[in-house]
Amino acid sequence: MDDKARVGERKTAPKSLPATDEALRLPAVTKKAMFPLETITAKPREQTPSVGQRATRHDGRLHGLGQTKYIDDMSFPGMIHAKIKRAGVAHARIKSIDVSEAERMPGVMATLVGKEIPVNRFGPTYQDQPLLADDIVRHAGDGVAAVAAVTEQQALDALEKIRVEYQPLAPIFDPLEAMHEDAPKVHMGHSNIYSSKTVNKGDVEKGFADSDYTFEGTFSTQMVEQASLEPHAAIAEWDPNERVTLHSSLGRITLGRADLARVLVMPINRIRIVATVVGGNFGGKNEITHEPILALLAKKTGRPVKGVYSREDEFISSTTRHPFIMKYKTGMSKEGKIMARTVRLICDGGAYCSWSDTTLSKACILSAGPYNIDNLRVEACAVYTNKTMTGAMRGFGAPQVCFAYESHMDDMAKELGIDPLEIRLINAFREGSLSPTGQVLESVVIKDSLLMATERFGWKEWKK
Amino acid sequence: MKHRGKGIGCMWYPIGFTVAANPSAATVKVNEDGTATLVTGTVEGGQGSLTVLGQIAAEELGISTNDVHVVSADTDTTPMDTGAIASRTTYVTGNAVQLAAAKAKEILFEIAAPILDVKPDQLVAAGRKIQVKNFPQRSLAIADVALQAQFVHGRPPIGTASYNPPTVDMDPETGQGQPFSTYVYATQVAEVEVDDETGEIDVIYMSAAHDCGTAINPMLVEGQIQGGIAMGIGFAMQEEMLFDGNGLQINPNLSNYIMPTSLDMPDLDIDIVENFDPTGPFGAKGVGEPTAVPTAAAILNAVHDAVGVRITSLPATAEKILRAIKQDRIAGQKELSTAG
Repeated sequence: MDDKARVGERKTAPKSLPATDEALRLPAVTKKAMFPLETITAKPREQTPSVGQRATRHDGRLHGLGQTKYIDDMSFPGMIHAKIKRAGVAHARIKSIDVSEAERMPGVMATLVGKEIPVNRFGPTYQDQPLLADDIVRHAGDGVAAVAAVTEQQALDALEKIRVEYQPLAPIFDPLEAMHEDAPKVHMGHSNIYSSKTVNKGDVEKGFADSDYTFEGTFSTQMVEQASLEPHAAIAEWDPNERVTLHSSLGRITLGRADLARVLVMPINRIRIVATVVGGNFGGKNEITHEPILALLAKKTGRPVKGVYSREDEFISSTTRHPFIMKYKTGMSKEGKIMARTVRLICDGGAYCSWSDTTLSKACILSAGPYNIDNLRVEACAVYTNKTMTGAMRGFGAPQVCFAYESHMDDMAKELGIDPLEIRLINAFREGSLSPTGQVLESVVIKDSLLMATERFGWKEWKK
Repeated sequence: MKHRGKGIGCMWYPIGFTVAANPSAATVKVNEDGTATLVTGTVEGGQGSLTVLGQIAAEELGISTNDVHVVSADTDTTPMDTGAIASRTTYVTGNAVQLAAAKAKEILFEIAAPILDVKPDQLVAAGRKIQVKNFPQRSLAIADVALQAQFVHGRPPIGTASYNPPTVDMDPETGQGQPFSTYVYATQVAEVEVDDETGEIDVIYMSAAHDCGTAINPMLVEGQIQGGIAMGIGFAMQEEMLFDGNGLQINPNLSNYIMPTSLDMPDLDIDIVENFDPTGPFGAKGVGEPTAVPTAAAILNAVHDAVGVRITSLPATAEKILRAIKQDRIAGQKELSTAG
């Protein structure tokens, strides 16, 4: 439709909206909802004993009425807004960052670059991650500078005026290629492999020799984002005694406070973190992200500073689930008993370690599956690549290896002509079984769960 | 043509951190009217963990869920907690809460014992009363005891405790050790329908049987399982962060990064496997993460059963399945022609 037609259309529109439409208009200020003081309490909340009761959640009423206050619902007098500029290149050396033009933009009150952060390195296992990249950009979502302005839009506009000069470095994206000796290095050092784990139990060679059949399978999984409904959000505010308070969506406040103290070089007792009800975590909110940046911008401006990640920030700059490459080899008796297994796991760690070390450990231990395997060898490593860093996400490596060991199990069952339920019952842990790490397992109910779920499903009677 | 298939996925999963210390502390204060306040450093993630912790405190004190108000997540006021991670809240923080409540209860018992003319270890707390064991007629209201404790004896009933799951270091060469205190087990079974002309998977039905030790709140356990299955479906069939040749993500938004909605959810039957772990609070372990673990395996095994193709890389998108079906057919035809 051309402009003229649109103007014409507007002229023919009624001067004022009919009363019914007026009523539909949203008020400028939301009307305060009134609730009856007498709340209805569901019976299970009132009953004793309380354990085993289907008690409704204490926060359910707030959620139901839309009254839960998330970080983005909070506001403080004089509060301003921060935004972070993302690198947009996967691997480069930063030659210079010029924020002078951005600082002259309307509404801008302060900017921040990595070099201004007292200790610009953090991470739960290795401190290999900068809060804002100061020297080298290791993935496209790395922050390079931050802006605090009166409105969010002004901060976003100012990001456009930040000039960063990069010297491109060769990037590496494929974890297998990254393991080569001559591959470009994401971090300094001689290798991109930054964590290795092994589990050895019994005698694998003998186990394979005693097997009637040997099966192999290779499986891989993808990079996944936690995608919580509530993005990372925080507000930083200083008091005149040089004490900083952060309202944050962080899921681990005690350790978050220690991390803040370390990067800001402050005593722990001058830092307060208050968390709200978090709108979904799934592992994605287990470490500090922009909190120190907001604290420093708040200190520079003397104003409370709020930062809320956009959905794009969530994807490109926060942690994700590790892509895995998993090679399985299993020796089987003709009756369907697992005699020996070797597993090789390669975990694409992205640009920074984050929770990869823990993920690798868990994946390593769990990769055998809930099965009695006397002879087992698992070798696993995590590799840096120039992609979004991977970290904690619901399952810590378990969904990946479960997909592999259970697919592998069904392939073997089919070849041996054994029912998938049967082959699992033959091999499943029982009370007192030894885990891959030699631990005696207690309160083991894997067989009960197999029988319960398949009975409910009608596994035996089920027809195509 | 549409083909149906069934598949199993089962799993085991540990509770708490791998070897590393991951303590939680908690404080329980019994008020003058017999209600209580629980102070914890953990953060509610939307899963109902604070409700469960309140139920644990209430159980130890013999009062109801509603009698316990839970204060959480402020580093100035709440005690140390490793946080909502590693499916540890019910087990680790829960143990701390139970121990803290037991300490507060001990004070109440010491006040009540001489009045009831018994020793403190002969008392139990149940139904908002402090009763003589096996003799429930002889009892005092917790409210009365709490009031006396504070205003007559000057001993406010408060307890603080911490808990850290016991572990043994893993040998760096062999990995042998006790990395976790306890584990949970689960099975999910999927029924799918696969369209061999489009490659689309329809997950029709799933049954899930999860072990979490004692279910402190069965409704919240079911909620976790429903949510975990939704996340597992996304992992199995839809979600993937895609990058271009320069390492820039090409789908950093929810219109191109496809996640399951309520319309993608199958009919669900959920069972909680009866179990009791003596190391957990009232026998409880945990349930958070495991619910998302076996879903993809169950679905992909059902796809294999339906159309005979093994998808070895996730996500199993319609394109990937269609390609596998076509390759399978070509391979089948070749076999026929060489045999012929």
